[in-house]
Amino acid sequence: MESAASPVERRTGSKNWIDYIQKDLPEHLDWWPYTLGAIPLTLFGLLVTTGLLLTFYYVPSPDQAYESVEQITHEVYLGWFVRGVHKFSVDLMILFLLFHVIRVFLTRAYRTPGELKWVSGSIVFFVTLGMGFTGYSLVYDNVSYWGMTVVTSMLGNLPVVGLPLMYLLRGGEEVSGGTLLRLYDLHTKLLPVLLGGLVLGHVIIVRLKGFAEVKGSRGFHPFYPEHTLVMGAIAVGLLVLIVDLVMIFPPTLGPPANTQEVASDVSPPWYFSAAYMWITLLPGPLSLWSLMGGAGLFVVYPFLDRVLLERGWPMPFVNVVVGVLAVLVFVALMVLDVRM
Amino acid sequence: MGFGLLFGMGTLALRFLQFLVPSPKPKRYEAVLIGSLSRVPVGEAVPMDLSGQKIVVLRTNEEVLAFSRRCTDLGCLVSWSKEREQFLCPCHQGVFDKTGKNIAGPPPRPLDRFEVVTRGDQLYVNIQSS
Repeated sequence: MESAASPVERRTGSKNWIDYIQKDLPEHLDWWPYTLGAIPLTLFGLLVTTGLLLTFYYVPSPDQAYESVEQITHEVYLGWFVRGVHKFSVDLMILFLLFHVIRVFLTRAYRTPGELKWVSGSIVFFVTLGMGFTGYSLVYDNVSYWGMTVVTSMLGNLPVVGLPLMYLLRGGEEVSGGTLLRLYDLHTKLLPVLLGGLVLGHVIIVRLKGFAEVKGSRGFHPFYPEHTLVMGAIAVGLLVLIVDLVMIFPPTLGPPANTQEVASDVSPPWYFSAAYMWITLLPGPLSLWSLMGGAGLFVVYPFLDRVLLERGWPMPFVNVVVGVLAVLVFVALMVLDVRM
Repeated sequence: MGFGLLFGMGTLALRFLQFLVPSPKPKRYEAVLIGSLSRVPVGEAVPMDLSGQKIVVLRTNEEVLAFSRRCTDLGCLVSWSKEREQFLCPCHQGVFDKTGKNIAGPPPRPLDRFEVVTRGDQLYVNIQSS
């Protein structure tokens, strides 16, 4: 613990890690828009717990995957509930990550010294989307089978690394049992460990770099008990919300994967729906490159902001315009996907 | 020493990556019997699975054509629409005409085509198999 505490000690002057955690927080962390980062963290915990439970029944083989999900949903005691909580937790985690990104973007909280907070957070966001994709592939209904085909083909179109990457994910030329096993490995082992590490890193970076300064907010807010109580209340609220959602919308299951016939509606979950419409509307290479370029710009945005600001751009205004446009395009593409 | 260690680790990582990425299997052409001409009525297209290769055999007034069903956009399967006389991909609304040419939507190139050989009344398709 000593070696871990030393950089902390240098920055904070604290003697040990408990002092460091207990360091006062700014008041504004009690304000609703500033709690949005802790919500995905809570949901991540819920996802790990329910995910672990689901692995006790799920079988990652093409012959049994769908049946095992059916068994979880219809036969296992409270199976539908555990699967429902898992499903809604990921939906809400991505939703609140989006809210959190929007809040940070609009308040430009990534400004120096917060660049690393943004970069680490944006990687957390992409890995979470990767978890979403690998997760819905495991259900092995027709939508997930063709989703797997489309997404891995899309990666295969990338220059140089595309084909090896596609082979790596598929475990061969075609989507097969090997693909399912690889996505299962990614979803239940590699990505959760990576995501856990990244989330921890993100939280440590936020504590080391400090929270964004907000006018009128003072730093008189101890982590325990005040802040812990607020977070606890939010966690309880979230649990109530998720339980309600699962009761009202219990998890369903589409028709099983049919390798001979594409599902009539292959629309992916809502968080991929905008990207899905984007690749439908634009010709192949252009849509792929624009998505990759957009993701790259997203990660390095704090540095772009700095360059543009030096050239005299009114960045607070630019961010509002970009943020509103991005949300409008995202929603418009989602609506279009529902209508088509 | 640092460099040596880095080199050793790098080589090992590369070998592990090779372990994970399966190499493509060699392919050869073979003629597969798909049945008699009467199996495919004029104006219809019959989908078939020839040892994993998903193909569709279309009979027009003039000739019999065989295409891969794999959409050249992102690998979904195309289906024949008799009314429109076109191949349609349901994933991203790609459209191909009856010669397999991409005419609308995101597909970047025509459908892959296989040679059809007629011996007597029997149809054979030359496919690549591994």
